[in-house]
Amino acid sequence: MSEATASIDGRTVAVRDGQTILQAARQAGIQIPTLCYLEGLRPEGGCRVCLVQLDGSPRPVAACHTPLRPGMRVATRNEELFALRRDILSLYLQDGKLNAYHRDHRDSEFTRLLEDHGLAAPRLDPARAGARLDQSHPYMRFQPALCINCRRCVAACDEVQGQFVYSMAERGPFTHLIYGRDGHFLHSPCVACGACVDRCPTGAISDRDRLRGEAPERVVESVCGYCGVGCRIAVAARDSRVLSITGVAAAAVNRGHLCVKGRYAHAYHHSPERLTQPLLRTDDGFKPIRWEEALRVLVDRLRGVRERHGAQALGVFTSSRSTNEATYLLQKLFRTVIGTNNVDCCARVCHSSTALALQQVTGTGAATAAYEDIDRCGCILLAGANPTEAHPVVGARLKQAVLRGARLIVADPRRIELADYADVHLQLKPGANVALFNALAWVLFDEGLVDAAYAAERLEGFAELQQFLARHALTDFTSTAGVEPQQVRAAARILGAGGPVLFVHGLGLSELTQGTASVKALCNLGMLTGSIGRPGGGMLPLRGQNNVQGSADMGSMPNQLTGYQPVGDPEVRRHVESIWGELPPAEPGLTIPEMLTAAVHGRIRALWIQGEDIAQSDPFQQHVRNALSKLEFLVVQELFMTETARYAHLVLPAAGALEQDGTFTNGERRIQRVRAAVPPPGEARPDWLVARDVARAFGRDWDYPHPGAVMDEIARVAPRLFGGVRYDRLGADGLQWPCPSVDHPGTPQVHQAAFLRGRGQLSVTEPLANPEHDVAGFPYTLITGRVLNHYNVGTMTRRTPQSELTDADRLEIHPDDAAREGLKDNDRVRICSTWGCTHVTVRLSPRVSPGTFFLPFHFPETATNQLIGPHADPDSKCPQYKVTAVRLSPPVEEPRGEIAAEAVAAPDRPSNGDAHPGPAAREAERNLAGART
Amino acid sequence: MPDAYTLRHRQRRADWLLQEIDDALKRRPDPSEDELEQLARETGVPVAALRGVISSFADFAVEPAAFRICRGTSCFLSRGSETIHIHSSHALAHAIACAGYCDRAPAFLDPDGEVHTASRSRPRHALPDLRVMGREPLLLARLLRGDHARLDQARAAGVYAALARALERPPAEVLRAVEESGIRGRGGAGFPTGTKWRACAEAPGPLRWVVANGDEGDPGSFIDRVLLEHDPHAVLEGMLLCGYAVGARRGIVYIRSEYPSAREVMRRAVADARAAGLIGRDVLGSGFTFEIDVISGHGSYVCGEETAMLNAIEGRRGEVRLRPPFPAQAGLFGCPTVINNVETLANIPVIVERGADAYRRFGTPQSAGTKTICLNNAFARPGIVEVEFGVSLAEVIDEAGGGRNGDALEMILMGGPMGSLLPADEWDVPICYGAMRERGLKLGHGGLVGIPRGTDARRLLEHLLEFMVAESCGKCVPCRLGSRRGRTLVAQLGANGESRAEFTRLLRVIEAGSLCAFGQHMVDPMRRLVELKGDEIFAGACAR
Repeated sequence: MSEATASIDGRTVAVRDGQTILQAARQAGIQIPTLCYLEGLRPEGGCRVCLVQLDGSPRPVAACHTPLRPGMRVATRNEELFALRRDILSLYLQDGKLNAYHRDHRDSEFTRLLEDHGLAAPRLDPARAGARLDQSHPYMRFQPALCINCRRCVAACDEVQGQFVYSMAERGPFTHLIYGRDGHFLHSPCVACGACVDRCPTGAISDRDRLRGEAPERVVESVCGYCGVGCRIAVAARDSRVLSITGVAAAAVNRGHLCVKGRYAHAYHHSPERLTQPLLRTDDGFKPIRWEEALRVLVDRLRGVRERHGAQALGVFTSSRSTNEATYLLQKLFRTVIGTNNVDCCARVCHSSTALALQQVTGTGAATAAYEDIDRCGCILLAGANPTEAHPVVGARLKQAVLRGARLIVADPRRIELADYADVHLQLKPGANVALFNALAWVLFDEGLVDAAYAAERLEGFAELQQFLARHALTDFTSTAGVEPQQVRAAARILGAGGPVLFVHGLGLSELTQGTASVKALCNLGMLTGSIGRPGGGMLPLRGQNNVQGSADMGSMPNQLTGYQPVGDPEVRRHVESIWGELPPAEPGLTIPEMLTAAVHGRIRALWIQGEDIAQSDPFQQHVRNALSKLEFLVVQELFMTETARYAHLVLPAAGALEQDGTFTNGERRIQRVRAAVPPPGEARPDWLVARDVARAFGRDWDYPHPGAVMDEIARVAPRLFGGVRYDRLGADGLQWPCPSVDHPGTPQVHQAAFLRGRGQLSVTEPLANPEHDVAGFPYTLITGRVLNHYNVGTMTRRTPQSELTDADRLEIHPDDAAREGLKDNDRVRICSTWGCTHVTVRLSPRVSPGTFFLPFHFPETATNQLIGPHADPDSKCPQYKVTAVRLSPPVEEPRGEIAAEAVAAPDRPSNGDAHPGPAAREAERNLAGART
Repeated sequence: MPDAYTLRHRQRRADWLLQEIDDALKRRPDPSEDELEQLARETGVPVAALRGVISSFADFAVEPAAFRICRGTSCFLSRGSETIHIHSSHALAHAIACAGYCDRAPAFLDPDGEVHTASRSRPRHALPDLRVMGREPLLLARLLRGDHARLDQARAAGVYAALARALERPPAEVLRAVEESGIRGRGGAGFPTGTKWRACAEAPGPLRWVVANGDEGDPGSFIDRVLLEHDPHAVLEGMLLCGYAVGARRGIVYIRSEYPSAREVMRRAVADARAAGLIGRDVLGSGFTFEIDVISGHGSYVCGEETAMLNAIEGRRGEVRLRPPFPAQAGLFGCPTVINNVETLANIPVIVERGADAYRRFGTPQSAGTKTICLNNAFARPGIVEVEFGVSLAEVIDEAGGGRNGDALEMILMGGPMGSLLPADEWDVPICYGAMRERGLKLGHGGLVGIPRGTDARRLLEHLLEFMVAESCGKCVPCRLGSRRGRTLVAQLGANGESRAEFTRLLRVIEAGSLCAFGQHMVDPMRRLVELKGDEIFAGACAR
């Protein structure tokens, strides 16, 4: 049979199911003018600019929403249609309410359309322009006089972000765009993703940072330097300044979408507080020095410590915000030139549990699925993650998947935004994930919902898990988890309905004393439902920092060399030595917490800390500051004088995310090219160059002319994962590892044919008591985490207008608890754990359950991590940030000053007046000291 | 596609959103921004969408204490010749169109929803004068004997007998009977009812809906009000038969708020029928389950358009939807849905009772059965005439005695503001969908508004434009902005010699460019009026 055809402007075109006249015409290269229509969004059918004529139809039809049917004869351009379109467009101009266009917007899509139809765009009447202008928001502006009510913004907000900020009000000629509650972006639910701005055809909704109209000198494509989603960005720059950032429409990761941080929060690059020269600590404080001198000091001091105390007295914390190349070189520097495995990165304090669990279960410590699986999954289990705030672009994609029909189960002690969209919200007791996941597995077995064929073919440990679960009643698990058995059954039935399930999790699983067990128990569900390795299913942990995946990949771990190769494996050592020429000891080095404890006890004497503010970000803050203050030599590579940098002997000015070349690896193992859009300020230098030059100063002939040369070496060192990675292959969307050879296309879905380790390992995970549960005198449980408007310890975001959006950390407390404690919104309160105290401002929120608090750690004055104790997962060493027993009491002094003093303790005054490490702390410290990875 | 309502729909709320909003606004009129946000949280609809939907319905802006004054065409034409007395202490007044008392215009509703009319001869609660032209009445047979709103009266008169017999036979038989009867929708478009039902019955989906369109907004028509108020069980029986035929389990009677009494009668009728086992689980012991809800409109003419009505039922702004998909494929909440006019549904029991062949013997080959024609008080004998298709318009006007008080009628507005304007020399046309379509005429819902000689044509044009400005939904630009442009042009007549040409061109743009029948057809009577009375309307311009 010949395929069905129709004719458009006399040209024969194929009729494809579901295709509109407009789509078919565009495919055939026939351009029909449009205004309210935008590819990828639902057709509105309102502007009627795309009217076309159909043989046999009494009147024209809109091409954007009329399906092309076999035999149709369509005319898209003739004088009659042109006149009709022009007459329709002239209605905007004749209408008294809308006759004004700003000079700056003469180039808008709308004014171009007018001009194409022989109509002149009028000028904005300045007297009217300011009347209802909304400038409430630091980034976005609305000029009602420019709005033509096309509704693109409404569709974009609904279908890209899912925030539903906009609507239309009134009707007939009075119909107009509204948003939020009162016409102020700042008071609306808008999350400033910019999806509407990008699509506005008139400039009525616009970015304030783009209004100055400065033409960019260049637009550089790179990757966002915030979270681990890895959105591709286009950076417009002029001179040495970033003008604006937009999402790359064709990007596989983000498809043009960005979040408020990625799109707007770039001002920190040009902050006057940037470090622009190396700084050397002297008796009179920090003194600027030349790089040559800095390198000489660095080499002398590191060499000196090594000579006096041995190589194992030195260590390095690489930055998860830096590039793969920088991380690789710095770990190589310490492993070869210094000769120690004391190399670690912030993955230790975030997803080390995830990486360890996934490695043991599947054979590789990374996501098994990719973001594209979100679009094709039928069911999502979201556990211990709040992606609409912490990973907003993935959060929006998850929300869209659910809005389009995917089932969603949320396991989280907080009623996070996505819980509103969930089929079942399992609001478990903080930290009780193992019991909860065991309960779900229990029901899968009980109700015959296990994918038995998958289990038989691909898994091991099945019988042991089955027997373990059979020894318990469902209520054993549900009562520990604090959830209703019926809810667990309902959730398990959804999980076990047959389709693959996508398991998305965050730090709410890994940052626990049972972090590794939590992830393993979640992996059990991934395997029992037959999801891992199937399209639309699998494990998709959300990585925190832009290159935390890459940091671990590059070998910034004390026990593994580049590419997760065991440091003690003779075969690995032979291979790596053949490239590096020298090797570290065969024994694993120390983790971050171990190095800090060793520093307290004088076994670690020198540390290099690259781009991490551990004095604010790491738990058991008193201990961290104590460790830093004991060091003989501390070098810190930073953008700003951070809490940690204050302890340094040498501070090196670093390049920001938009100032360096290299690659980042996102949370779905995608290695993407990063390019400098602007030069670093002053003498600040990219991290990889510093590592290279230090090695040279040590006398090594590290000859890497460009970061690409570093990647070539990485491919040789770890061929199984990166063998095929070359800069010239990292086209637009990069490569997802494993990519073992230059003809390999990369691997979106790992373990498709078989698990990398052979069979998937089911685990018996016994729920253990949490040391922060049921602590006498501390009746509440504190969860710490992130909010949308800030990133990590806020080093970057606090130096942008983000601080206008969120100006402080707030303690979220349930209204019932607030009533009991006599607290109301904005009250100050003193909060204490058994480890420390701080003062915070409270905000009443029904999103936490009674008995549970939530506190971010973005602002140093909050000193959130003073509250966090030394408990950690025994296997991964990941600290327990997520569960801390606390109590509230009235503020003890004039709050702000005291907090500042508590938090910003200078190195010469390291002890915290308000900290009271008791016997438990000392015991925990011993545990840390004895722990090995 | 996700939108502001997806979350609420995902939560499978049982309440009807517009009713929730209505209740909330009755408790707290003119809510603050905080209160609106609270209502948004309670209803699961984002606050902007909530503001949007509230502002799109006229009723939500009306003080509960306001009088609602009919500004339908009949009442418009009657002003000045009749007087309405409203007590001076009730100064609040809100215009509506129309109250459905065109046979005794002008009319208004008091704050309690009681209607008041100018006619002294016919009490306000009385049935209109009902007459028959043709072999026998099919639709009005019962009403000719009086009100049958009570269930016992209705059953005694044979209502639900067709249902009881149909339930003993397979649903396909009902569907086939309706198809073979040749009945077309009486609401205006004249689409074959059986085709619609078949499409719904065969569309995939676990749930189907039947919606009775009781949003009789066309000024000039009031048959649906009369059926809803006085023969509600006939409508319910038609819905039940439809639900049985297409496999639907739920039905909605959507009744405009301008018909408060119809709404109350229908609520009562549904309750009575449910109590009698005619609605609900296991109807008449047959195993067929069908639930019916009565939903009120909130002041929007366009919601009489079927897709706008679906939006209103879902609690959305009363805007038309893009088609395809058609409601029979994806209607209410995305489910296959039959939407039939009240008069159409009231015909269904007759078809099922008598059989398709017997029904088809009435009327013409293209238009089977009978049609009610509503006559306003411009006629000597206003009321409702049930005519067999094929009777000519002129005969109906003769039967009504021509113009009131012996005055000649200059024109007839047939089928409401989206219908056709006919001067006297065009009345010799059979009432028949086929014959009328051939002449470019639209029967619409069958309301005839007589326009007496001497009517100010410019004021009539302004009246039609005011209606369009007030009732355009705002979805598409030609109707949204063209309506206001038209009003401005007519208001500025005399200052601009080009006005007539420009106005005519504007009407063409609105007609050719508009998304739905409202814009496409509203211009028809206006253009005809300009053709017929242009010199009078544009006199100012010519005299310049």
